Amino acid sequence: METNGGVVRPTPEQARAALADTEQVRASAAALSATPWPRWFVTAHALYIAAFPPVYGGMVASPEWLLPNLAWGVLMAVMTAAFFVLFGVAAANWRKATGVALRLDVLPKRAVVPLMIGLPALLVGSPLVFRLTGEPLWLFAASVVGVAVSIGFHLAFVRLHRKAS
Amino acid sequence: MNNAVTDPMDGFDTTIHAPNRLRICALLDTAGEAEFAVVQRQLDVSASVLSKHVTVLMEAGYVEQRKAVRDTRQRVWLRLTRQGRDAYQAHLAALRAIVGP
Repeated sequence: METNGGVVRPTPEQARAALADTEQVRASAAALSATPWPRWFVTAHALYIAAFPPVYGGMVASPEWLLPNLAWGVLMAVMTAAFFVLFGVAAANWRKATGVALRLDVLPKRAVVPLMIGLPALLVGSPLVFRLTGEPLWLFAASVVGVAVSIGFHLAFVRLHRKAS
Repeated sequence: MNNAVTDPMDGFDTTIHAPNRLRICALLDTAGEAEFAVVQRQLDVSASVLSKHVTVLMEAGYVEQRKAVRDTRQRVWLRLTRQGRDAYQAHLAALRAIVGP
């Protein structure tokens, strides 16, 4: 240790060791924060993402598609409410299991930001394209892409958790 | 933390620098909020040692605690205050300045 103005300060070697120690703790905490969600919730999330484009497409379809618009609207409300209930349960269980706060900024921003913009655009945009073209293939293509992104997101967490552990 | 700080060494904080306190701050800065038992396990320290360091950090205004019931038992959750987060970041900057380029 060295003194400077009455304050004891570490030598460069001690400071380097302290920084290395904090980095080790940081990595360990990051591994906890990146704990993957349970498979049942990953499945529920993928199903919700898969169902969203066709159901929303049915809501905005003109003329009506398969069911009345109102029926699609009720279906959307029910499945969204169910999804958020499951999300609440999964989040509470996750916090109990890990003992750390739920953070959405664990994955790199370069992956999360395009996802946060691209996925809603895909889920909302494809039904609007369906409304304009009347072609349901847009809805099912959006479902497939959405599910792939959802599973990819989960696998990224699994990988990050393993890497950080 | 004073925003007018220009010399990184001014951010050196003797309260944070004690090894276990620095590790507590590193964990809470990364995790956002963590249960007392998790902090204890991650840092491999006894409850009394952790409690002592947390008390020092709380008295400095760097850490705050929240109590929550889990499985009928009361659990303590810890997190850095804004002041604590700023002080921790300033302290890291001071350590990097000591290490040099």
